[in-house]
Amino acid sequence: MVTDSTADLPEEWRARYGIEVVPLKVLFGDQTFRDRIDMTDAEFFERLAAASKLPTTSAPSPGDFAAVYERLARDFEACISIHIGAQLSATAEAARVGAQSVEGFRVEVVDSETVTMPMAFLCRVAAEAPTLDEAVARVKARVPNCRVLALLDTLRYLEMGGRLGRAQAMIGTMLDLKPILLVKDREIKPIDRVRTKARAMGRMVEHFRAEGPVEYVGVVHAQSAGEVDEIVTQLRKTLGDQEIAVGQIGCVLGTHVGPKAVGIVYIKR
Amino acid sequence: MAARDTRMTTVDGALFKRALLGSVGWLAANHEEVNRLNVFPVPDGDTGTNMLLTLQSAVEDIKESQATEVSKIARLASHGSLMGARGNSGVILSQIFRGFARAVEGKAALNPKELAAAFEEAANAAYRAVNRPTEGTILTVAREAGRAATAAASQPDATAPAVIAAAANGARLAVQKTPSQLQILRDAGVVDAGGFGLQLILEGMLKSIEELDSPAAVTAAPKPVKAAQVALDLPEGGWGYCTEFLIEGENLDVERIRTQIESMGNSVLVVGEPELVKVHVHTDEPTKVIALAGGFGKLQRLSVGDMSTQHRRILEQETAAAAQPQRPNGVGIVAVVAGRGLVDIFKALGADAIVEGGQTLNPSTQDMLHAVESTQYDTVILMPNNANVILAAKQVGGLTAKTVELIETHSIPQGIAALVAFNPERDAHANVEAMRAEAARVQTIEVTHAVRDTRSNGLRVKKGDVIGLINEKLEFAGGDYAEVVNKALGKLGPDGYELVTVYRGEGASDEELASLESAIRDSYPALEVEVQQGDQQHYPFILSVE
Repeated sequence: MVTDSTADLPEEWRARYGIEVVPLKVLFGDQTFRDRIDMTDAEFFERLAAASKLPTTSAPSPGDFAAVYERLARDFEACISIHIGAQLSATAEAARVGAQSVEGFRVEVVDSETVTMPMAFLCRVAAEAPTLDEAVARVKARVPNCRVLALLDTLRYLEMGGRLGRAQAMIGTMLDLKPILLVKDREIKPIDRVRTKARAMGRMVEHFRAEGPVEYVGVVHAQSAGEVDEIVTQLRKTLGDQEIAVGQIGCVLGTHVGPKAVGIVYIKR
Repeated sequence: MAARDTRMTTVDGALFKRALLGSVGWLAANHEEVNRLNVFPVPDGDTGTNMLLTLQSAVEDIKESQATEVSKIARLASHGSLMGARGNSGVILSQIFRGFARAVEGKAALNPKELAAAFEEAANAAYRAVNRPTEGTILTVAREAGRAATAAASQPDATAPAVIAAAANGARLAVQKTPSQLQILRDAGVVDAGGFGLQLILEGMLKSIEELDSPAAVTAAPKPVKAAQVALDLPEGGWGYCTEFLIEGENLDVERIRTQIESMGNSVLVVGEPELVKVHVHTDEPTKVIALAGGFGKLQRLSVGDMSTQHRRILEQETAAAAQPQRPNGVGIVAVVAGRGLVDIFKALGADAIVEGGQTLNPSTQDMLHAVESTQYDTVILMPNNANVILAAKQVGGLTAKTVELIETHSIPQGIAALVAFNPERDAHANVEAMRAEAARVQTIEVTHAVRDTRSNGLRVKKGDVIGLINEKLEFAGGDYAEVVNKALGKLGPDGYELVTVYRGEGASDEELASLESAIRDSYPALEVEVQQGDQQHYPFILSVE
């Protein structure tokens, strides 16, 4: 099983399910760092806050993927490779091209159409399937049900990274607003805007509750552990003892959402 | 005015027309006095101006009319006042005209009894138009005027002038009693402004009729007659440019400046002291006005607005809107806002059309109607953002084929809070509900200077003091902005709040802003403070607390 670093895969799952993680890259000026390898998340956000110019991000190269697939080909006949939505990054495309250069090894590349932990959930779905075909079928069936509700501390990063698109029309940028975004159907859509963080978190939870039952659910954050606890407490009221995973947003996604972003990630039933 | 009997036992169209035009002149001559009767000592007392503009709009079509039936003149007055209604008193005045027009429907002339009945019905209509009628206001004055008219009409040899005289006198007595009916008037030591405005209108009607009867007659006016200075110079070729400035100098002769400015335009307001005079005029020749005023002293805060651009601006917005994709929910937004910075904020948050106005000049129903019609949407959310605009805004829905959803925002912070909650993907009903809830959640603090000594809400205020209003209620007075704001925040209880947004007005200096900011941060370190450029007049600072 292969995914990329934007899945925000918890370390424990990686070990438990044997998942390969291919890093995307962050570029500060002419320095390139591999996500979560050359730089820890904490180091990254520290550097982001201090940077006069925002870093840029890039997908892994096809060669990066080829190297991973070649290594796997020594022990396995095939793999499923689950990646960040093609509308957001060229990663899945790089995986496809990389796979073609490895002969005799079957690679099923899946465009998750989403970002962050729903990808990690899809990896679990795949890991629990008895066969590769079954894994691909189960994962693809769930792709349309993946959702990310994100509450950003500021729109600045999304704007500068050019990923704002139609979101801008609703949000407006004069006041310091806390936008709530929904990643769904290959789109990032603003669904709400709130003036203060505490109320915005409550509203994000309300939006989640309106979505109905979920198969998997988690909370992700960029250096906001305190707020995660609060959201988890609120989610508990609805979810009872259903497992709530917690993930940390890495450097690449962090470049676009900025520090203090929090999100509720889930796969709808 | 041909075939009327000399004793004027009846009122026909021509006589009613003359009476109305006379009332405009008398109110124009005295409207500043009405303005000064503001209960709160805030520098935006404008009841007199609002009533005058409403009355001018009422007679606009009448000037050209040759109708001899009183019903036709009354209908024109009713329609004109409704379209031009500004401020609460203006709207109530329009309802008075409406009630009068209904009462005289189909009648060519009124005998004294019919005239008195029409006055009574006018008062009834005004009561019906208000949600919670309050005694001691223009409503009481209208009712007492009607009662006095009815008593006079029951006299055996009653005449129309006698009925109007009784109504004017009844109004005057009722105005004097308003402080005993309303605590806030008593505390402030003033009579009700709207009621006084109505008294002036009735007196003006009486004067013009009496002059007809016997040109030499001395009118029974309680105030020195200034009406001679004011011609009934209503606009013929449009309103031209709204020109405003302050003249700074020594020994300025307010009366002389006023007389000269009056010859150059309409809606003239010239007020002030020998050292500082404020001028407001609608003129076709702003450069001439400026040149003239420059001869008296140094000009400050000069602003010239092309009033016909309002129409043009709306057309531009229409063109721009046509180029924009329709909002998914098909709901437009119109907001009443004054101040460049605040206008930008409302636009950035999604307002399709802005009606300029608010604290200094309340927009008319017609201004808001134009803006609503200018949007490309069939459903339009309207936000008045000022308590004194709400009543005029309520009339808009009945004048357009569009669906108008009124969100009764009382302040700029309420308007911004509501607009932030707007979601283009959600239907009108859900948006209105969410926006109302958000508007109700935010607290407004407004900071300005007292324009006169007063007592209000148990507080002694000296002219020039910094005063702080929480949700439109005067709560604190003090020496500087920071002190008053901190007291106001203390009263709200900062524990329940996260964010203070400071909208900086055009009167606030960098130093004042800096000291206000640091005072809030020092006293309430848990609150986030955000500063936005509002550029609003009269209020150096408006704060939203949420």
